[in-house]
Amino acid sequence: MISWLRQVMLLAGKDLRIEWRSRTALLSAVVFASLVLVIFVFARDPATVPTSALAPSVLWITVTLASTLTFTRAFALELDQGAIDGLRLSPVTPGALFTGKYLANLAFVFTVEVVAVPLFLLFFNTTFGSAWPGILGTLVLATVGFVAVGTVFGAMAIRTRFADLMLLILLLPFLVPPLMVAVQATVRLLAARPLSEIAGWLRFLLIYDIVFLTLGALVFPAILDE
Amino acid sequence: MTKALRIIRRGGVLTVLGLLGLVAVYILALVYTPTEVRQGLAQKIFYVHAPAAWAALMAFSLVGIVSGLYLWLRDERLDRFAASSAEVGLVFSVIMLTTGPIWGKPVWGTWWTWDARLTLTLFLFFLFVGYLALRAALEDPGERGRFAAVVGLLGLVLVPFVHLSVYLFRTLHPQPVLVKPSAPSMPPEMLRTLLISFGVFTLLYLGFVMVRYGLQLATDEAAREAHDAG
Amino acid sequence: MQASGPPQNGEYMVAAYVVVAVVILGYSLLLWIRARRVS
Repeated sequence: MISWLRQVMLLAGKDLRIEWRSRTALLSAVVFASLVLVIFVFARDPATVPTSALAPSVLWITVTLASTLTFTRAFALELDQGAIDGLRLSPVTPGALFTGKYLANLAFVFTVEVVAVPLFLLFFNTTFGSAWPGILGTLVLATVGFVAVGTVFGAMAIRTRFADLMLLILLLPFLVPPLMVAVQATVRLLAARPLSEIAGWLRFLLIYDIVFLTLGALVFPAILDE
Repeated sequence: MTKALRIIRRGGVLTVLGLLGLVAVYILALVYTPTEVRQGLAQKIFYVHAPAAWAALMAFSLVGIVSGLYLWLRDERLDRFAASSAEVGLVFSVIMLTTGPIWGKPVWGTWWTWDARLTLTLFLFFLFVGYLALRAALEDPGERGRFAAVVGLLGLVLVPFVHLSVYLFRTLHPQPVLVKPSAPSMPPEMLRTLLISFGVFTLLYLGFVMVRYGLQLATDEAAREAHDAG
Repeated sequence: MQASGPPQNGEYMVAAYVVVAVVILGYSLLLWIRARRVS
């Protein structure tokens, strides 16, 4: 019996390798993020709306929307080839299945962010300055949370006819609290507020992450079994 | 008479009682209670808005708790109850979402504001819709029950986070005037009417859920018979 | 300090009470129709 950690690594690795071969989801997410950014640049009146006012919102909206693209993809792959049954039959503990999927999704979303964030800085003529460790931390914390929920709902939405629409309907209420908090934290970080002021917001994100990661791992077996 | 029909009938009785009670509440609220000086007649919307909100929140919490139990015990009666409570909860949250702004406009000057409670109202609505949409989109009863339960449970867990994140901002909602142990700052007619209204809405919730449960049971049994015969 | 009395906004109250009645009665009717079909 392979150790749990090894199972997770194998599962995540499989997903990442499959995606890397075609790279479609990754590329579409990146292209989407870029397009969204461009739209934001032009969909405002430059005279009355300074980029600094919009910046935190734009960053987070872009990241959130682009990452939702990855969640149905993660399971569409398996649905296509009936591979989910293969997974169910293999001697993999369900906790490993969730964690493997989750880590693969997380890797994808981080990759999208790695591209989207510098693009954002470029298009919006901003820099994070000394705030960048804080913003990086906020990005990581918020992403960890919504990838957890996205993984769970992606697995369910894929079994319905309008998977992408269903995913959005289900996911949006869950994205708003961390999104709101992340934007608030970013606003304060960019205004060079001390880290102590932001601690509360970051703690919220951390608790959100822990709660939904745990819950996600607990309910995942119910999504997979007969 | 089958069990399903018996449940529907009993639920129907409760509903009719609730409807009669609602008539009584209307009379009490519109005639018996005094007009509030600062808010005017619009304040009376409170007597239907607050109990509807309470019923919606109760419906939602029950969906969440029963969903958790279903995931653990896999008893289809739990799933049936959750589905019923969700549908009835949607009805009450529609009331909440419409009466809220209708009350807000004359009293705060605006139809909508993103304060703590109104936002939670909207979230509850979307969570109900998501739950019911997912149920409608899945055909296999086992899958439908399990997936819906996941959404129900996660939705309930989400509520404190919504509450917390929105409470980190200013709120326009009138502060609770009721929950003071020593003396609620409300004349007795208002308090009495409000409490009766809470009771009536709870009764309506129970009646509706019972009927809906019975209907679901009847449908499930018919489907099973068709399945067995075929 | 003027004694102007409460604001005149009765129409909102009426609107809300009508909405509540419509929704509750509407749903009751819906359930009743479904019940007739089943029994």
